[in-house]
Amino acid sequence: MTTAKVPAKTQSSNVAGFIIGLALVVVLAFVARWLKILVYGVSLPLGIPGKALEYPLWAALVGLIVNWILKTTNVYDFVKPGFRTELFLKIGLVLLGTGISFKVIVTAAAGAIIQALIMVTAVYFFSWWLGGKFGLPDTLRAVMSTAVSICGVSAAIAAAGSVLAKKEEITYITALVIITALPLMVIAPLLAGAMGLSEPVAGAWFGGNVDTTAAVVGAGTIYGKTAQQIASIVKQTQNALIGVVAFLLALYFSVVVEGKKERPSAGVIWQRFPKFVLGFIATSLLFTFGLIAKDPGAAIAALKDWAFCLAFVCMGLELSAGQFKKMGWNPIIVYLIVTIFNTLLALIVSYLIFGWLFPAKL
Amino acid sequence: MNVKINEDWLAVIIAFGLLVLAVAGVITPKWMIF
Repeated sequence: MTTAKVPAKTQSSNVAGFIIGLALVVVLAFVARWLKILVYGVSLPLGIPGKALEYPLWAALVGLIVNWILKTTNVYDFVKPGFRTELFLKIGLVLLGTGISFKVIVTAAAGAIIQALIMVTAVYFFSWWLGGKFGLPDTLRAVMSTAVSICGVSAAIAAAGSVLAKKEEITYITALVIITALPLMVIAPLLAGAMGLSEPVAGAWFGGNVDTTAAVVGAGTIYGKTAQQIASIVKQTQNALIGVVAFLLALYFSVVVEGKKERPSAGVIWQRFPKFVLGFIATSLLFTFGLIAKDPGAAIAALKDWAFCLAFVCMGLELSAGQFKKMGWNPIIVYLIVTIFNTLLALIVSYLIFGWLFPAKL
Repeated sequence: MNVKINEDWLAVIIAFGLLVLAVAGVITPKWMIF
C-alpha cells in the first residue's frame, strides 16, 4: 500500500513540475523574442548592429540566467521535466523541411554524406586516441568521441547505451558539449563572417563543427537563412550515422573489451536512427510537390522559429557544471583539443566540398 | 510492425499537427513572427 502511494505522489509532482517548467520555458521564449525585437534596430557598442544578435543568443542567455536562479532557489529539479530541448528542436527541424526543396536536400546531402564520413571517422578516432593518451577510461572516451564526432547530447546517450557507460559519464559529457557549443554558436558565425565564407560553406562548417544540433541551428540562424538550411541538412546527415556508430561500438565492447561470444543485433542501427529526419524529408517532399501551399501568411516559418527558440531557452536551462569537479581536468583538456581539431578539419572539409566539389545553390 | 512512440515520433506528430493548423489558417502569425 505504501509503495503504491509514493509513486502516485511522485507522478503528480512530476506532472506539476512538467507543466510549470513548460510554462516557464514559454514565458522565457517570449522574453527572448522581446529582447531580440528591442535591440534589432539599435546600434550596439563596438559598432555591432543589433540585428546581428539573433534570437538563439537571447534565448540561450535568458535560459542560463534563469538556470542559475532556479538552482540558487532549489526549485530546479522540480521544474526540470518541462525542459525539453531535443523535442522542441526536432519539431523545429521537421517544420524547417517545409521551406526546403527536396532537390536541395539531395544536392546538399551528397556533399553532406562525404563530409559526415570524413568528419565522423577522423574526429572519432582522434578523440579515442587522445583520450587513451590521457588515460581516460574506455567507456568515457567512447561516449566523448561519439559526442564530439556526431552530434553531442543524443549521440552521447546512444553511445553510452552501447558501451554501458556510467550515468555520471553521460551527464559530464552532456555538460561539456553544451558548455563548448554555446560559445561556438556565437563565435563560429562571427569567424565565418570575418573569413567571408559564403552561406552554404559557413552552414556546412557549423554543421560539421558545432557539437550539438541546437547550437548548429542557432549558428546557422545567426549567419543567415541559407546557412541555417545547409547547417541543418549537414547535421541531420551526421545524426543519421548515430545508429551505425552505436552498433559498431556495441560490437567492439561486447567482443573485444568484454570478450563475449554473442554479437549485438544490427537492428540497433534502425533503433538508434533519428526518426524525426524522416519527418523532415516528408515535409520537404510535401513542399516540393506543391502539396503544401507556399507558407500561408508565414505561419509555418513563425512556428519553426518558436520551436527553435523554445529549444535554445531549454539549452541554457539544462546546462549543468556540477560534474566537472568530480572528473578532473584531463577529460576537459581532451575535449577542448578535439574540438579545436574538429573546428579546423571541418573548415577545410566544408570549404572543399561545399565551396568547390558540390557548391549548393539555393 | 510495432512502432514505439518515442520523442522522435512525438516531434513528427506535433510538427504535422501544427502544420495542418497553419495550412488551415487556424494559426495567424501576426503576433508571433520573430
